[in-house]
Amino acid sequence: MDQQLPEEPGASRQRNDWGRNMLSVKGLMAEVGGKEILRGLDLEVAPGEIHAIMGPNGSGKSTFAHVLSGREGYTVTGGSVTFDGRDLLELEPEERACVGLFLAFQYPVELPGVNNTYFLKAALNAMRKYRGEPELDAVSFMRLMKDKLKILHLDDSLLKRPVNFGFSGGEKKRNEIFQMALLEPKLAILDETDSGLDIDALRIVADGVNALRSPERSMIVVTHYQRLLDYIQPDHVHVLAKGRIIRSGGKDLALELEDKGYGWIVEEEAAA
Amino acid sequence: MSTTTQAQTNGVFDAWVADGGDAPAGPDWLQAARRDARARIATQGAPTAKAEGWRYTGLRDLMQQDFQRVHEPVSALQPGDIDEALIPGLDAHRVVVVNGRYVPQLSALGTLPTGVRVGGLHAMLQSDPAALEGRLTQIAGAGCHVFATLNTAAMDDGLVLLLERGAVLQRPIELIHLSVGMDEPRVAQPRHLIHLGDGAQAEVIERYLSLGDSLYCTNSLLEIELGRDALLRHRRIQLESPHAFHITGLYLSQGANSQYDGVNIGLGSAWARTDLVTRFRGEHARCDLSGLYLAGDRQLVDYHMDIRHDLPNCASSENFKGIVHGRGRAVFDGLVYVAPGASKTDAAMSNRNLMLSENAEVDTKPQLEIYNDDVKCSHGTTVGQIEPEMLFYLRSRGISAPLARRMLCLGFAGEIIDALGNEALRQHVAEQVGQRLEQAPV
Ligand SMILES: Nc1ncnc2c1ncn2[C@@H]1O[C@H](COP(=O)(O)OP(=O)(O)OP(=O)(O)O)[C@@H](O)[C@H]1O
Ligand SMILES: [Mg+2]
Repeated sequence: MDQQLPEEPGASRQRNDWGRNMLSVKGLMAEVGGKEILRGLDLEVAPGEIHAIMGPNGSGKSTFAHVLSGREGYTVTGGSVTFDGRDLLELEPEERACVGLFLAFQYPVELPGVNNTYFLKAALNAMRKYRGEPELDAVSFMRLMKDKLKILHLDDSLLKRPVNFGFSGGEKKRNEIFQMALLEPKLAILDETDSGLDIDALRIVADGVNALRSPERSMIVVTHYQRLLDYIQPDHVHVLAKGRIIRSGGKDLALELEDKGYGWIVEEEAAA
Repeated sequence: MSTTTQAQTNGVFDAWVADGGDAPAGPDWLQAARRDARARIATQGAPTAKAEGWRYTGLRDLMQQDFQRVHEPVSALQPGDIDEALIPGLDAHRVVVVNGRYVPQLSALGTLPTGVRVGGLHAMLQSDPAALEGRLTQIAGAGCHVFATLNTAAMDDGLVLLLERGAVLQRPIELIHLSVGMDEPRVAQPRHLIHLGDGAQAEVIERYLSLGDSLYCTNSLLEIELGRDALLRHRRIQLESPHAFHITGLYLSQGANSQYDGVNIGLGSAWARTDLVTRFRGEHARCDLSGLYLAGDRQLVDYHMDIRHDLPNCASSENFKGIVHGRGRAVFDGLVYVAPGASKTDAAMSNRNLMLSENAEVDTKPQLEIYNDDVKCSHGTTVGQIEPEMLFYLRSRGISAPLARRMLCLGFAGEIIDALGNEALRQHVAEQVGQRLEQAPV
């Protein structure tokens, strides 16, 4: 990935001006329902990088994703999150989306009665408005949607249905990536987008994600399965346990985890 | 009720039925019915706070007003004046009633198919009273609440729609009730009669609107009779001044195998009370009532239903949804009665409410009185809030919280709005609901 980044001196100086990293999480601590879940989480994500986060059930992966996207009910009790030079934690959820953060939900929410096309248009136009761009006219919008649907091999009948309502598990996950393709975020967090996908769908989703890779776009991919990482090659792999990143490495770490599980790292961490 | 109370309440309603109007006396049978109604007003009086059917419907504000009867027709309005009241793209035979008077020069009937008669009630009472006999005042009959009795006694003008056996209306009849503010608060009491002969089919779009935001009362009454195999689609949109009081009594009598498909949209006025009353005269008839109401700050919306299954093999359904915000109040009171002989009755009732504020209030009371075991009856009510995870999902896609709430409210209401069928009407109502929600402090 790194060699794809701009190499001319001007570009790198510009990067240094606002800090190398797109996302900088320092000592993040958060509670939910009075329970401490994140206990000093550190993570640095540079533009264009893909980070995989793995870790046992209940270790706080989704909590981390929700805290980043500003979901209510989570109390940040310590640490900081800087996104593109801004204090992310200061922003409302919709502002976070507008500055380029996207969360593909582990459990996409069904919205009965809310038409998918209307929803996508509202989302896209909200972001364009935030950036001071005019709303897309109906024709350009439909053309854009058709293009993105093709990437995800989605049937356009889904557009006429209520958002996620009655969608199969796999359709819901694909609909998340479809939204990501449409909204073109700077940083996407994919929370177990691979769970519940059949082998073909996994391929399609991974291809979709790879098509969206660019030197400016970063991704945090939360997964339990090393297989996804065969399709979406990460730059870094992290293990999140008990609310902290306890081990980071390259793609090999994922293979090692697949082989040996999490127990050994958690033990090593406890002993250290 | 004591004699003194009777005297008082009688006094309260004197102005509602004051003489001096241009209403034709009509034939003997009608005069008798109206004399009878006048006599009943005295004994009925105004419902007390404890009266069955009025417990949650505060009458104080209404009774405090000094409503005067409208006698003079509004003649100043020109066709262009009602342009803002028209729905773009709605292709219909239009009948306009202003302050309770049928106004031919504002109406646009167009060409009617054979077997269809449309006209003003007062005019028809003079030209062809026989066409109304046995129907007018008979379908609503006795046993109605005092406001229906008042309407019978006063009987302002209204629509008469008569379809002969087998007649089919291709385009809907649009009945616009327009209220124009006067110097002092007025009460208009329009009276409508719809009769569909055997196998006849029609759609009626009934709209209540105000020019301006004045204080007035509309006390309307509809009598609807469906012959065997007849089909009536009835859409009712109430969107009045925030200071208006609104009362509707809809009395429906259905012949064998007939179908009534009614959608009620209640969006505006200070205080609104609607009674939907259905009786089946033949088997295998079906009555579907659905509704959407929006009660904003200090508004009251009240729907009462009284569906009586005396005969076997009939079906009825009520599906009402409400959105209540600010200090709005909604009342849903649905009574379905199934008589011992009414085997194979199919009755389903549902009332779901979305509360947008802590001070909003809903009183929902489904009542199923079933005296037969061989029936299929169900009812369900819910009172809930916007789901936080739905709201978050929308916001996480960049949509502002107020717009996200509106989208979810419209999503909730969508099922009923879609039931309107007619695309121009559907769009109009969706826009109006959206606008009301936009004004709501959510
Ligand atoms: N509202 C809540 N109240 C109390 N505890 C909560 C609440 N929400 C989440 N938790 C707890 O927080 C912990 C972390 O949950 P989280 O969903 O972040 O785990 P995860 O790493 O995503 O797990 P999985 O791999 O199963 O998706 C869990 O123990 C969970 O039970
Ligand atoms: Mg999770």
